[in-house]
Amino acid sequence: MKLPLGWLKEFVNIDVTPRELSEKLLGIGFEVEEIIYTGENIENVVVGKIIDIKKHFSADKLQVCTVDVGKEITTIVTAATNIKTGDKVPVALNDSLLPTGKRIVSSDLRGVMSYGMFCSGAELMIDDNVIEGAEVNGILILPPDAEVGADIKDVLGLNEYVLDISVTANRADCQSVYGMSREIAALYGKKAKKPSLTYKVYESEGLTIPSAKVEDKSACSLYTGRLITDIKIEKSPKWMRDRLRQVGIRPINNIVDITNYVLMEVGQPLHAFDLRLIEGQINVRHAFEDEKIVALDGKEYKLNPNMLVIADDKKAVAIAGVMGGEYSGINDETKSVFLEAARFAKESVRGTSRALGLRSDSSARYEKGVDWTSVEMGRERALSLFYKLKAGKITSLKTEDGAEAPKVKVIETSARKINDLFGIEVKQSVMVKILKSLEFGVELRGDKMICSVPLFREDVDNYTDLAEEVIRFYGYDYLSSDLIKDAHPTKGGLTIRQKNLDAIRATMTSFGAYECYTYSFINYKQYDKLRYGEYAPERNVIRLLNPLSEEFAVMRTQLVGSMLNVVNINLSRKNGDFRLFELSKIYLPEKLPLEKLPDEHDVLCIAYCGKDENFYKLKAAVSEVLEGYVAYSVQRTVAPYLHPGIGADIVCDGKIIGSFGKVHPVVADAYGIHCDVYVAQIDLSGFIEKSKSIVKFKPLPKFPIVDRDLAVIVDDKYAVGELIDCIKNSCELCESVELFDVYKGEQIESGHKSLAFSIKLRSDEKTLVDTQIQECMSSIMQALSDKFGAKLR
Amino acid sequence: MEEKLKEIVERTFCKLESVIDNKELAALKVEILGKNGELTGILRNLKDLPADKRPMAGKLVNDARTRLEEAFDKKFKKLYEEELSKKLDEEKIDITIEGKDRKKGGLHPLTIVKNSVIDFFSSLGFMVVDSPEIETDYYNFKALNTPDNHPARDMQDTFYITSNILLRTQTSAGQIRTMEKIKPPIKMINIGRVFRADDVDATHSPVFHQIEGLVVDNHITMCDLKGILDRFARFFFGENTKTRFRPSYFPFTEPSVEVDASCPYCGGKGCRVCKGTGWIEILGAGMVNRNVLKNCDINPDEYTGFAFGIGLDRITVIRYGINDMRLEFENDLRFLKQFN
Repeated sequence: MKLPLGWLKEFVNIDVTPRELSEKLLGIGFEVEEIIYTGENIENVVVGKIIDIKKHFSADKLQVCTVDVGKEITTIVTAATNIKTGDKVPVALNDSLLPTGKRIVSSDLRGVMSYGMFCSGAELMIDDNVIEGAEVNGILILPPDAEVGADIKDVLGLNEYVLDISVTANRADCQSVYGMSREIAALYGKKAKKPSLTYKVYESEGLTIPSAKVEDKSACSLYTGRLITDIKIEKSPKWMRDRLRQVGIRPINNIVDITNYVLMEVGQPLHAFDLRLIEGQINVRHAFEDEKIVALDGKEYKLNPNMLVIADDKKAVAIAGVMGGEYSGINDETKSVFLEAARFAKESVRGTSRALGLRSDSSARYEKGVDWTSVEMGRERALSLFYKLKAGKITSLKTEDGAEAPKVKVIETSARKINDLFGIEVKQSVMVKILKSLEFGVELRGDKMICSVPLFREDVDNYTDLAEEVIRFYGYDYLSSDLIKDAHPTKGGLTIRQKNLDAIRATMTSFGAYECYTYSFINYKQYDKLRYGEYAPERNVIRLLNPLSEEFAVMRTQLVGSMLNVVNINLSRKNGDFRLFELSKIYLPEKLPLEKLPDEHDVLCIAYCGKDENFYKLKAAVSEVLEGYVAYSVQRTVAPYLHPGIGADIVCDGKIIGSFGKVHPVVADAYGIHCDVYVAQIDLSGFIEKSKSIVKFKPLPKFPIVDRDLAVIVDDKYAVGELIDCIKNSCELCESVELFDVYKGEQIESGHKSLAFSIKLRSDEKTLVDTQIQECMSSIMQALSDKFGAKLR
Repeated sequence: MEEKLKEIVERTFCKLESVIDNKELAALKVEILGKNGELTGILRNLKDLPADKRPMAGKLVNDARTRLEEAFDKKFKKLYEEELSKKLDEEKIDITIEGKDRKKGGLHPLTIVKNSVIDFFSSLGFMVVDSPEIETDYYNFKALNTPDNHPARDMQDTFYITSNILLRTQTSAGQIRTMEKIKPPIKMINIGRVFRADDVDATHSPVFHQIEGLVVDNHITMCDLKGILDRFARFFFGENTKTRFRPSYFPFTEPSVEVDASCPYCGGKGCRVCKGTGWIEILGAGMVNRNVLKNCDINPDEYTGFAFGIGLDRITVIRYGINDMRLEFENDLRFLKQFN
């Protein structure tokens, strides 16, 4: 909210700089986001009175003026034609600054020194709302009563500081100048003065006021109306227009300005209806299904029964708390006004405003909550302004309907209880003083404090709220810095899952990969780019109702797409060869539309990109990650985003838990990637929650290993893995088998390949002798020959 | 014979001086000490001497042999060392050329900071919990004392999936899940991803991360909250860091505070980072609202607690001086490589 200091001082007599006040306000929970000075960038511009005007001796279009600027008589040369002797005008003196950023200095104009410049409204960046005549084409002619030599900012009402205060959502009562003044008064140990509520009432013979009836008293707990006749529409006085401008409201006419002024001053939204347009009685009711209303903004809105309207016997005349109807507004022909002051429930106004996409100063205020007492104060304040501005005759006619007045909340507590929450000792007397300064009623009964909560403090419910009021004004700096000294010991630390995830991160960084973070929501088009089939389960994605854009519309069920985007960015920036990984959640719905929370799985995604990378390097990382967690096998991939010949699926208990391999060329192309990229994606859920089994030490072997190489020729269709398994199974002394060469070529029968294995044999019982070694090798060869038709090379 | 021996020894010593490689040395050794060498010849001739002279002569020959062998060994060693140092010299490389092997990768700065936060709190007995990123309205709002149409909902633009299921806007949702499962004493932190419908710019991201803290026990006070947060600020931003509590509002805490740390860049004097105020806002906190405890079946008259929420991304950009939050999610290698 915007708080002009001059306006504030009407209620609290304080003498502080805006900066000091801002710092103090921060201490009690109000952050001043900006200190606005309305006269920003106007320096050294004063009121001057033109004493004499002469023609310039050599320039036809220039006039030489003798001007009284208060402390001296000076000469100003001007090209303006709308001035005459005796006029008072703004004079930018030598070395002055205008809000346009222009600096004015004395200068020689065709042989005559001009010690400054006359200003137009445009040069002072003001319009007719600031002062009449500001918009004329020429010099701004000031009113005759402007004091010669006075600072122009004072004359224009631009010498004001406005604090832009961020008010927390619980403090609806501080959304007005008067509301803030109560807090500031308490801050400075003063009492806030109430706004003037006095006016003269005219007897109203022969007149009637539409009587108000409220249907749903939970949506409108209080509705009041007053009748004002003999309305005289005119411009509101300068002081009122100035203040409205200071808080960012455009002055319209006296009636509208009064309602806005009251809204800003005491926080009560009001609505002035032209009486001619109310047919019959006022009914505050829910809208009918598809009921239509054209609002003041000229647009037609279709309503529904969740929305509250102000209706007469024939039609809805306003959307309650949001906006009046088109024809109910004030215009130059308005003679009598039905002034509405009401308390609509914030939920109702918020819901209506959201549903219609229609906001106003009134709805914004109602959404924060208007309290019971505000209605009367707002209405009475408005009436006193009608009276003061002579804007109409206030009749004694009134109407009112609503619920019973709320009861004053009473909270019973004690200094002990409040201090227990603080952890320090604040004296009871100090607490009482603070609470009373905030208009709480406090009654002491022994140790007990019986506190009654002012009706405007709807946020206060229990003793902790009172504690906050106390500590806010007592000062948080008085809290000492304890270290949960009375708390029981607890066991801290990470869960197994968290530790395992950290270990996987460590594994990946040891392979040279850098960790990425990408958004959890993606473009659904990724599934096309990744070649997922129409019915692929991955396409069962959770869609946001209100995404920022299609780019971020669905919750991802895979990380590969995001990873390929990151790869593309890095390639396009020529970041060379790289390895990347991400550990994030995917979101798997059981059923769509979502009825219960989806499963969230931890997924690891890896990308290798560079000329030295290949399938087997990626496979090494994948097996290192999975080491110790699960038993798995690999099979040719069915993942649509992988090269079918250079990709593998990781199978664990018959279920595919991940895939890795070279990115399918079509997919790479779709992501704008023009080099070989290898990716892996592994769903870690199911094993990441469990600890790895504890390692058991094996004694070091006592007997030496025997190395033997074996080269065989087999049909191309057999996979190396199959042969290795066969070798291991055919000889119990075989400790390890490694492939060290694959050869296809001239010496080999076509459709066949030569595979060379390095085999390590070892016995736990003795050193192997030649005969045993021979036996082993021949049983291996036999097995390979039986199973794969392998021939020794 | 004695003369002869002396002559051989001196001559050999002399020759040894000029030997330049192992080959020459070996040849000389054969010439003198070999099977048919000069000295060997003398030894062989000893048998022609009278018996009484033999021991004396034998000793002389053997002494000469020992002296020569030592000299040969010494020369051998010398040659070896010369050769070795020559070889090593030849093998010399340019050590200013960059090391070249696959380098280790690195963690994302958010992970690094997260780990350091976890270190601090877990050492104080805080367990680290996780809770769902897709939440129900109940856990994200209602149970946190934020019913429908509560003004606090305006503070957060929520991504909805259904009217009842949403992307969590705060890790505070994890408070309720923890208190439903575990009864006091509770000390926990919950670090994770949260989502708000903010357009992307240098200081806003629709995806960001929070660290939620919660302590519930008998006699937990605001001084305890201050104590923990003071220590955290000093741990994270440096020993001289001060904190400042300002009243604020969150529906799930009462009293509520915003906590500022003295600016780690200027020490509180005021600079560009702290916008001249000397303070930077680092977290929101407060005493757990009684209604929140009640919602979790914890008696608010028996237990009190505090909760805090730290923006992980915020303290990360402050720690490293990162000027644009978008860099966190762009994953440019030139960015990622800076933090490890």
